[in-house]
Amino acid sequence: MSTAVIVTAVAVITVGSRIIATAVLPPPNGATAEIVRQLPAPLFAAMAALSLVGSDHRGAPVLVAAAAAVAVAGRRSLLVVVLAGFVGYVAGAAVT
Amino acid sequence: MPVAAAIGVFGVLYGAVAEPVLGGELTIASSIAMFSGAAQFTMVALLASDATAGAVVVAVVPLALRHIPLGALVQHRLAPSRVRRAVLSSLFLTDETVGLALTQQAPAARTMAITGGLAYIAWVAGTAAGVAGASIRGAEEAAAALFPVLFIGLAAVTASTWRDAVLAAGAGAAAAVLLIVAPAAGVLGALAAAIAVACLGVRR
Repeated sequence: MSTAVIVTAVAVITVGSRIIATAVLPPPNGATAEIVRQLPAPLFAAMAALSLVGSDHRGAPVLVAAAAAVAVAGRRSLLVVVLAGFVGYVAGAAVT
Repeated sequence: MPVAAAIGVFGVLYGAVAEPVLGGELTIASSIAMFSGAAQFTMVALLASDATAGAVVVAVVPLALRHIPLGALVQHRLAPSRVRRAVLSSLFLTDETVGLALTQQAPAARTMAITGGLAYIAWVAGTAAGVAGASIRGAEEAAAALFPVLFIGLAAVTASTWRDAVLAAGAGAAAAVLLIVAPAAGVLGALAAAIAVACLGVRR
C-alpha cells in the first residue's frame, strides 16, 4: 500500500471521527448525559496529566509551570492560570 | 493566540520530522487534511519504523475515539439543527478548541471557528516551515509547557464547585499514575480515567 493511501486512510479516520462525533451521533441523554455533564473538568485534568507525563519534555521549567498553574487554579480564571504558568516557566528556566 | 503559537511550533517540528518519511508535498497535504498532531506524529513514527498500513490504522483509531466525548461536550452548543454548521465546526474539534468553547461566553461555534481557524493556519504554516528547513530550537520546550498549563486552566474553569475540583484532581492523579505505570495506555488510558471519575461523580 502506498504511503499516500495510508495518509488518506488516516485522514479519513481522523476527520470522519470528528464529523460523526459532532454531526451524526445523537446528543447524549439519560445516564450518558449525566456522565457527560460531569466530564469536562476530569477530562481536562486527565489531558493535563497526559501532556505532562506522556511528553518528552518534562524538564524543570515545564514542571514548575504546571505547578504554578495548579497553585492558582482555585481562581478559576484561564488568563490567571496561563500567566502563572508563564511566570513559573520563566522562573524554572532561570533557576535551571 | 498563545495556543496557536504553540501549535505552530509543533507544526514546524512535524514538518521537519515528517518530510524525510512522507516527502514535502505529502507532509503538507497531511497537515491540511488532518489537523491532528497526535494522529500525524503517530503515523509518521510508525511509517518511519516500517510499520504496516494495518498497524498505522490500529494506532490511529484510539486517538480518533477521543473525538466522541469531545463532540458530546459541545454538541448541544453547536445549534444541532444546523448540520452544515456542525460539520464545519467538527473540522476544528480538538482538545483545545473544545475546552475554550466550553469556557468562553461567546457562542461555541464562533469560538471553535476562531480558535480552531487560527490553530489550523499555524499548524499548516508551521508544517510548511518545517518542511522548508526551519529550526525552532529553544521554543520547543516552551511550547510543550503551554499545553499542561492550558489544560489545568480549562479544568479549573470548568470545575464550578469544590466537588468538581475534587473530581478533576482525582482524574488528573489517576491518569498520571496510570500513564507512569503503563505508558502505553496513552490517550485512551487518560480518557478512561476521566470517564471513570466522571461516572463516580454522578449523583445517584
